[in-house]
Amino acid sequence: MSEIPASVLVVDDEVQIRRFLRTGFELDGFQVHEAETGAEALRTATLKPSDLVILDLGLPDMDGADVLERLRAWSSVPLIVLSVRGSETEKVRLLELGADDYVVKPFGMAELLARAHSAMRRQLRVARGEPVIKFGPLAIDFAARAVSINDQRLTLTPKEYRLLQILAQHSGNVVTHQFLLREIWGNEHVDDTHYLRIFVRKLRRKIEADPTQPRILLTELGVGYRLVAPDPVPAPVPQEAAAH
Amino acid sequence: MNLQLSVLRREARGILIALLLIAVTTAVLMVLRHYFGILRGAVLFLVPVMIAGYQLGLIPALVTAIAGVVLSGYLYFAPLYSFQVASPQETLNLMLFIVVAVVVSQLSSQAKKHILIARKREQEMTDLYAFSRRLAAAPNAGDIFVAIQDHLANLVQRKVVLLGAADPGSEDDVPASVRAAVTSVENDDGRERTVEDAGGNIWLIRRVSPKTTDFGLVAVDLGNTTGEPLADLRHRIDDALADAAATLERLDVARALNDAKMRSESELLREALIGSVSHELRTPLASILGAATILHNAPALAGDGKLHSLTAVVRDEAERLNIDIQNLLDATTISRQQVRPKLQWVEPVDIVNAAIEHRRRRLSGYPLTLDLNSNLPIVHVDPAQVEQALVQIIDNAAKYSPSGAPIRIAAHASGRTVILSVHDSGAGLTAEERRQVGGRFFRGPRHAVTTSGSGLGLWIAKAFISANGGRVEVESDGVGLGTTVSIHLPMSAEEIMPEPETLEAVSMESAAE
Repeated sequence: MSEIPASVLVVDDEVQIRRFLRTGFELDGFQVHEAETGAEALRTATLKPSDLVILDLGLPDMDGADVLERLRAWSSVPLIVLSVRGSETEKVRLLELGADDYVVKPFGMAELLARAHSAMRRQLRVARGEPVIKFGPLAIDFAARAVSINDQRLTLTPKEYRLLQILAQHSGNVVTHQFLLREIWGNEHVDDTHYLRIFVRKLRRKIEADPTQPRILLTELGVGYRLVAPDPVPAPVPQEAAAH
Repeated sequence: MNLQLSVLRREARGILIALLLIAVTTAVLMVLRHYFGILRGAVLFLVPVMIAGYQLGLIPALVTAIAGVVLSGYLYFAPLYSFQVASPQETLNLMLFIVVAVVVSQLSSQAKKHILIARKREQEMTDLYAFSRRLAAAPNAGDIFVAIQDHLANLVQRKVVLLGAADPGSEDDVPASVRAAVTSVENDDGRERTVEDAGGNIWLIRRVSPKTTDFGLVAVDLGNTTGEPLADLRHRIDDALADAAATLERLDVARALNDAKMRSESELLREALIGSVSHELRTPLASILGAATILHNAPALAGDGKLHSLTAVVRDEAERLNIDIQNLLDATTISRQQVRPKLQWVEPVDIVNAAIEHRRRRLSGYPLTLDLNSNLPIVHVDPAQVEQALVQIIDNAAKYSPSGAPIRIAAHASGRTVILSVHDSGAGLTAEERRQVGGRFFRGPRHAVTTSGSGLGLWIAKAFISANGGRVEVESDGVGLGTTVSIHLPMSAEEIMPEPETLEAVSMESAAE
């Protein structure tokens, strides 16, 4: 943790949700600002710039997507959306609009903190221009365009490398199918999710110990993929503290 | 005896009037002859014959005819003022007059009879029409029974008793000697019966509708009518009852339709209520679960084992409640037929892993074996719905297995089908349970007390999978021998897998930055 505490802006119209988020973030060392409405959120984001924004979509005064769009017009602050289950289309739309990640309500605090830290680390890395990113046994050297697993150099096709590269750049955060398809195959292929399935399968065979039990290249069903550092202990019962 | 006497009296009255008519006619003819010298007026005697035939009947008409012949012989046929007839020509004329008079008397009495019959028919038609209209307007079965009673009573002019159904009458209304027949019609094959009561009256007992006893029975006192009038009467009773039975059936159908409409409306209301209540519950639940996870990891509580485990209880129960609410919402979506799969190409193994991830804590007490083929064809389904179905099946496997009983989850292909299966070594199913399982709200009676649940899980799974073009199969070797539930997803008909080389060729740019 840095000397100056990181700050988070929590945007939610439900007072009880804000309360537990405040406690959770404060326990994690954050300084917390709150906003009840979209308008208040935009005002607070301008007056007290935060290192992180938690945005609930069900705001009384404006659509969460509008808040996100207007915020993204001038700010690249890491932002996590609080979504509801069963709205994959909406999640994808918000990710496309520039949200870094989402968590589905109801959620555990650890899950939210894990997403939040990923989003903040990514910003930091982009700022620093780190040449090598590691995900457990997987190391990606952007400068050398080299990928290794357990220090063994892997041979990847150009598109496999591109896929891995994009995911690594968003390390820990979800990347939508549409984004990957557009970046790798071009606009006309944004609906060809089967291209991705085939490439992900090939890539998993190269980087995962067991391709049927992926621990690095994870699927967000119906939304996209995320590249994560695997949990140190294989296949444990997840504990809420896992992300700390 | 009385009857014959009254007929005799009526005939005698007719004859008297007929003779009076002849007398008047004779007087008129005398006047005509005396003052106007009209000598040929015999034909005028046909007028009273006609009047008598039409108004008084055949016998008075014949009496009039005979009297007319005698008087015209006296007054008009030579020798005049004598009852003798002189010439053969006059005899022939008189004979002709007799024939004409008799024929006229016959014809006019017949004409009268036909007019009377026609009038009666018309009246009957009007009655039947009024009856039909009354039936059509009847808002309920009770009114129809009253209409039947009125109409039949009007028809037979005697007693009519309706029994059963709407019960306007009771068995006390029919004579004791008829009740046995009522019971037999009620209970036996339903054929109509006729019985004679103590007073010699014939009773007809039949069902209102020959098809069903639902509309009750009718007992009609037909009096002592016999022969053709009886057949006619029974025919008319049949007609009226056929009309009434049709109306009752129509009302019955209408009521059934109305009931169904009421039911579906209350069903809709219930669904809407479940939907909105479930939605309202989710916000406080999100706060509870969030707060519980913070408490669970709070350093202040970490040292206190009891408090720490309590926070786990809050968290786990909140999660369980969330699952229940989710199931209710899913059930509502299914009931409203709003399950609309958003189809995507999906890696089957990804679905299995997501489902296991969602139920990690639930599965923690059961040794889990995975048997996943890494080279399955990708499937074209709504991934969230198929995953939700699999989650339901996993929940059931855990719910009906003792802690420590192994669970195996597999993904493999068979023919043109990708099969995701969950095999447990738990309670298993009886043949009867296997038949019923998957019905909405069905819960095995063996587990109703010991295991909580809504009976929605497998029903939801089946609905989601069938919306995605697949099916769910349930197998069990029997009680205590475990259960295997499998999701069968069709492979795509078309070959969607392009060659990897093609994919590499579809290149916008190289991998270079």
